[in-house]
Amino acid sequence: MAVIEARDLHRTYKTTTGTIRRRSLQVEAVRGITFDVEKGELFGLLGPNGAGKTTTIKMLITLLIPTSGSARVLGYDVVKDAREVRKRIGYVFGGERGVYERLSGLDNLRYFAELYGVPGREIRPRIEELLELVGLKGREKERVEGYSRGMKQRLHVARGLLHDPPVVFLDEPTIGLDPVGARELRATIASLTEGGKTVLLTTHYMFEADALCDRIAVIAEGDIVAHGTPGDLKAGVEEGAVVEVEIFGIPEGAVDRVRELDGVRAVSVEEREQAQVLIVQTPADVELTHAILGRLNGANVGRISRREPTLEDAYVALVGNSE
Amino acid sequence: MTSLRIFAIGGLTSYRALFYWLTPYVYVPSLLVAPIFQILLFVYIGRSAGLESDEFYVIGNALQYAAIPCVFAMGFAISGERYQQTLGPILVSPARRLPLFLGRAVPVILNGAFVAAFSLVVGGLLLGIDVPASALGPLALVVLVSAFSCTGLGLINGALGLRVRETAVLANIIFGLLLIFTGANVPLDELPGWMRAISDLVPLTHGIEAARLLADGVPLASVDHLIAQEALVGVAYGFAGYGLLRFLEWQSRIHATLEMA
Amino acid sequence: MRAGARLLAVGWLFHFKMLSRSAFDGLLGVMWPLFFATVAFFMFRAGGGEETLLYASLGAAVMGIWSVTSTSAGAAMQRERWQGTLEVLVASPAPFALVLLPVTIAMTTIGLYCLVATLIWGRLLFGIDLHVVHPLLFALSIPVAIVSIGTFGFLMAVAFVRYRFAWALGNVLEYPVWLICGFLVPLTLLPDWVRPISWLLAPTWGIRAIRQSALGGSPLPDIALCVALAGLYTLVGVLVLETALRAARARAALSLT
Repeated sequence: MAVIEARDLHRTYKTTTGTIRRRSLQVEAVRGITFDVEKGELFGLLGPNGAGKTTTIKMLITLLIPTSGSARVLGYDVVKDAREVRKRIGYVFGGERGVYERLSGLDNLRYFAELYGVPGREIRPRIEELLELVGLKGREKERVEGYSRGMKQRLHVARGLLHDPPVVFLDEPTIGLDPVGARELRATIASLTEGGKTVLLTTHYMFEADALCDRIAVIAEGDIVAHGTPGDLKAGVEEGAVVEVEIFGIPEGAVDRVRELDGVRAVSVEEREQAQVLIVQTPADVELTHAILGRLNGANVGRISRREPTLEDAYVALVGNSE
Repeated sequence: MTSLRIFAIGGLTSYRALFYWLTPYVYVPSLLVAPIFQILLFVYIGRSAGLESDEFYVIGNALQYAAIPCVFAMGFAISGERYQQTLGPILVSPARRLPLFLGRAVPVILNGAFVAAFSLVVGGLLLGIDVPASALGPLALVVLVSAFSCTGLGLINGALGLRVRETAVLANIIFGLLLIFTGANVPLDELPGWMRAISDLVPLTHGIEAARLLADGVPLASVDHLIAQEALVGVAYGFAGYGLLRFLEWQSRIHATLEMA
Repeated sequence: MRAGARLLAVGWLFHFKMLSRSAFDGLLGVMWPLFFATVAFFMFRAGGGEETLLYASLGAAVMGIWSVTSTSAGAAMQRERWQGTLEVLVASPAPFALVLLPVTIAMTTIGLYCLVATLIWGRLLFGIDLHVVHPLLFALSIPVAIVSIGTFGFLMAVAFVRYRFAWALGNVLEYPVWLICGFLVPLTLLPDWVRPISWLLAPTWGIRAIRQSALGGSPLPDIALCVALAGLYTLVGVLVLETALRAARARAALSLT
């Protein structure tokens, strides 16, 4: 039995617009997501902002009720057996909020330890252990409002692990962290599965998913668009080529015109200092450079190069990033 | 833009922009329901203490409560701009200052007067207070002048709010002080001398006294000196507030304090 | 059972500590009832009524306890939402009622600062001496009053969870409770139809217990009623809470985004 089972999860939000005449809109954030996570796996849910990652994870950790579909964690239904699920999961999210700033890290951890039902005798040693693990030892008596962003993040992780949960959910944990802090945090996350825990991570950083995860599900606009190990995803992309065209000022509509070309798999634009770079993914055996240039209406063009695709390109192609 | 247009348009825009939070869900409980309860509270405390008449407390509290819309709103009208970071662009504009800030004051004064009048009427009806018909017009005048002088105080609060972050806290303190010093609930005779002296210098004291006399049937001519004093207080605070605003504005150009969130 | 009691105690201490540290908020919270107390002292001193200044002082002292409750308890959930901690609390396995109850009781406990400040204020400025006839019962009445008012705050927090402007609703309840629960106005002065409402409100019995123990009477029935009401509020609150939370999860109202 899989540790995490998601079956055709759907989640629709109702939002209202307008101030005088309020109209309500239905937004379908998650449109039928199905996946499994096995014991001891580090599973990644990868996708751009707004893809539905956070919504999905919140359904799994019982904070949101799915509009339809079902999910089980360790065999317990996330809607009907919410309490049983909560006893067995840890939830860590990125960002600075979610801790009580006026009190110390230690106070926060002691409080949450009570909330998570950590037996009285084990609270002290567990907190010591976790402070050691996340590298906050020595700073725990200071008020959280004085912590750096990275430290707050680490406190979050410590909090999520207080009751030694077998399953840990991390929602964009490295967001907003400096590179060093992020790297350390990733190392900590990687070590979790070594201890036998199952981890589900959401992120929009391709390289992070690639580096950490055993398996990845790529999610875009509420749907899973690809599924597999990082190796599988790279393989899917290896038969192809990427043409990069440096342009000084992309003309109006050019991107769409290039996209319409026969054979073009994906087009995206990257800002690089003085110029923009048009990145076009094509099949390996087709020569499209001429055609692409033709669609650019004589814009000011700089260097043109052709290269092998990377996992980043695969990701872009999958999530349909266009601008 | 002429001064008059700045006055009119500035007032309306700022009123709309900053009062979006005054939805009926906040306006009704805070500005229409709460003052009625304040009136009832002090009417009954008065009965419990065996002091003065119901009418004393209805008038005193209806007018005193105008401090909430006048001082809070004016404070927010100024420091709220700073919060939304629109103050900088406004002050950089060539618009003349006086009509600009006065424009913001008018909706506040009118709103405050409305709240006070509403409380007077409802409180009066609930407690069966008899007011001679001839006093209604003069009472309306007193209400308006009182709201005006209160707003002057609000201007100072707003100016202070540019440096101090907690303008709402300040407004609450002002409200509390007015509760004590204006004779709204404590007859001025009961206050020690030094407090009486302060009472004469704060908004609402003269207005409340005038309103009580008018409700008793005293003719307008006999209370016009009180109304004039109230108006004078308002003008004095208004000028002080305006001066403070210009000073702080000038200071901020040296110390770059205006955009501090 | 013991774990539940432990959770309540730990939660209460944690949130009380945290609220105590919000210095500036606290300052106004203590000053606000003092304005009203001052007015009351002047009025009772000047008036020809029967009630003594001590009567007024005790009443005014408890007004602060209600103030902090009405202005913060209703918005307790909102406050947690802003801090980003609401989700964390809901996602924990502890029953949410056991998590929220200590929060509102801690908020009410902040009223202790007001109580002390008002009594000192009355003593210093108006010469009101606090003679307590039954000191032990007085000492008991205060925490009992705080807990029962705190559970009333819990009920408010739960009832207002859906309102974006919960704080405005809470604010508007400040005066009415001061009026009808006998803080400065004996219940006998109020119209008959109001009294049953007063009887259902914890502050009525809390202030009675405190006064009876200070002025020499029998506070025990009042203490018992405080406890009974606390139980009633908790029961109703828990029932409403389960429904409210489920609705919040369905509507995605637990976080800000």
